[in-house]
Amino acid sequence: MALGGFVAWSGWDLELGSVNDPGSGFLLFWVGLIVVGLSVGVLVSALRAPAGPARPIWAGARWDKVALVLVVLVAYGWALPRLGFVLTTTVVLVFLFKVVEPQRWSVAIGGAVASALIAYLVFKVWLGAQLPAGFLELG
Amino acid sequence: MELLQQIGTGFAVALQPTNLFYCFVGVFIGTLIGVLPGIGPVGAMSLLFPVTFKATPEAAIIMLAGIYYGAMYGGSTTSILVNIPGEAASVVTCLDGYQMARKGRAGPALGMSAFGSFLGGTASIVGLMLLAPPLSQFAIKFGPAEYFSLMVLGLSILIYLAHGSMAKALITAAFGIVLGLIGLDSINARPRLTFDRLELVDGVGLVPIVMGLFGVAEVLLNVEQALKREVFQTRIRGLLPSARDWVESRWPIVRGSVLGFFLGILPGGGAVISSFLSYALEKRLSKHPERFGHGAIEGVAGPETANNAATGGAFIPLMTLGVPPNVIMALLLGAFMVHGVQPGPLMMKQNPGLFWGVIASMYIGNLMLLVLNLPLIGMWVQVLRVPYRILFPLILLFCLVGVYTVGNTVFDIYVMILFGLVGYLMKKLEYEPAPLVLAFVLGPLLENNLRKAMILSQGSFAIFLTRPISAVCLLVALFLLVSPLVPRLGRKREELAVEEVS
Repeated sequence: MALGGFVAWSGWDLELGSVNDPGSGFLLFWVGLIVVGLSVGVLVSALRAPAGPARPIWAGARWDKVALVLVVLVAYGWALPRLGFVLTTTVVLVFLFKVVEPQRWSVAIGGAVASALIAYLVFKVWLGAQLPAGFLELG
Repeated sequence: MELLQQIGTGFAVALQPTNLFYCFVGVFIGTLIGVLPGIGPVGAMSLLFPVTFKATPEAAIIMLAGIYYGAMYGGSTTSILVNIPGEAASVVTCLDGYQMARKGRAGPALGMSAFGSFLGGTASIVGLMLLAPPLSQFAIKFGPAEYFSLMVLGLSILIYLAHGSMAKALITAAFGIVLGLIGLDSINARPRLTFDRLELVDGVGLVPIVMGLFGVAEVLLNVEQALKREVFQTRIRGLLPSARDWVESRWPIVRGSVLGFFLGILPGGGAVISSFLSYALEKRLSKHPERFGHGAIEGVAGPETANNAATGGAFIPLMTLGVPPNVIMALLLGAFMVHGVQPGPLMMKQNPGLFWGVIASMYIGNLMLLVLNLPLIGMWVQVLRVPYRILFPLILLFCLVGVYTVGNTVFDIYVMILFGLVGYLMKKLEYEPAPLVLAFVLGPLLENNLRKAMILSQGSFAIFLTRPISAVCLLVALFLLVSPLVPRLGRKREELAVEEVS
């Protein structure tokens, strides 16, 4: 609802224009209002629904693993320009192989190094993509 | 005669060694991702999007199309042997395919699935070839009002068919339109919702959004649940179906081809719906409906034919009108645009090599798939045995590298992670991501045509109702959107959604 309100306000701020010549904010404004209206509808129907046991959408969920994967991905984005593609990719893959779903060190390290090198060869050497070199200057 | 000449042009393009290579890569990867649960054709196509940048437009589209119809072939293998659908269009194949495997008939199930896919795919290409030229001629008459109304109809069908609450699907689509409008206004170059970030001036990229919603989110859901799968332990022999199998499957294959093709054309329809409806149709028409769910070969032949036939049909709105009917075609539209080609009524005249080359490549690709899926079935079974704990870091690696190489900016990686989280929460809270992506692609086109129509009509909304095609599209869209308020029609929609979910 808040998001819809913000979009409608942004559309208003950008100017709606006239019906003969709609402005930059015309569609944003109306779409924002529709979102607000629909959100109110969803909220009302949720409040009116008969009270019962809440659906256990988080029951049995290993959400700590989900959080861990997200943190690792953000760390990848931060480290990529600093450490370079090969080093960042290897470290992150070892972490994913070893920590998120534990398996043998040989599989984790071997798999990570091989995957990082194959990705480097395919994207950098074969496809000519620009991958960050980092301090190792491998790029 | 002219048609034969055009087909000849198409084969001359499709048979060039480079295009053959890209076609093979496309169908091979398509089969692979179809076999592997956890990554669908949308994710795979967006992963390989950057790979096509250095290719010619023909090679790029041929490969991406190959991934799409290849995934439809591969998905059945996982359904039959593991009882987990490799992709959404193969969900229904689990019902009878897996039961056939349990009875020692995995071979005929896989064989009939491959033959049905081949026949359905080929029939739909013939339909595409015959219907596309007259539709292109018809589409030349379309103005901004017709395009606007057609896009509204496409979004409405997708929203109507979304699982669960329609209000939630509408919110998702509205959010997609807003995302599509981020960046410079195409008419007066005014920045919108850019928050003074230079990276947002050109708008948010399609690839980070799609990879986040369909790639990262899928990994998060699987990591959360610790997906376990066991390949059915049986020797797969005798892939060729028996004469009796053929007799039982011939009409389901014919009906599946027709049903799949026409449902594929409809905006919002496609492979998933056609496979479900084909199964329901065969069960209803069967003299022994009680066999369904216990290993009836018609329950494999019909849906597998229909989901492949739908792939050919789905190309029609994109290539003749320039309007993508589903998320996969929206990605293909993006690929066309990256290569400077505008799909639509004039494409057949302006780019005949590309238009007919893609169609011809689909014939060749279907033949390649038959070879890949029959003699090489043992290899795909081995692929199925790769544990998910090994696969998911590799899927994430492809997402990260793929997104980075599109724009060479870390910002896109963060956008992908954000949409990965959004997609994960959407799945949890029963919001569908497909309307968001289609609305994201259609949003700017929708706005552009709306504004043009309003300028042309000097501010009169009547333009949308006085032009017949536009009026019909809007009336159908309105009917679909208000139908849940009518109790009987609302129940019908819920039944369809429940069938899809189950």
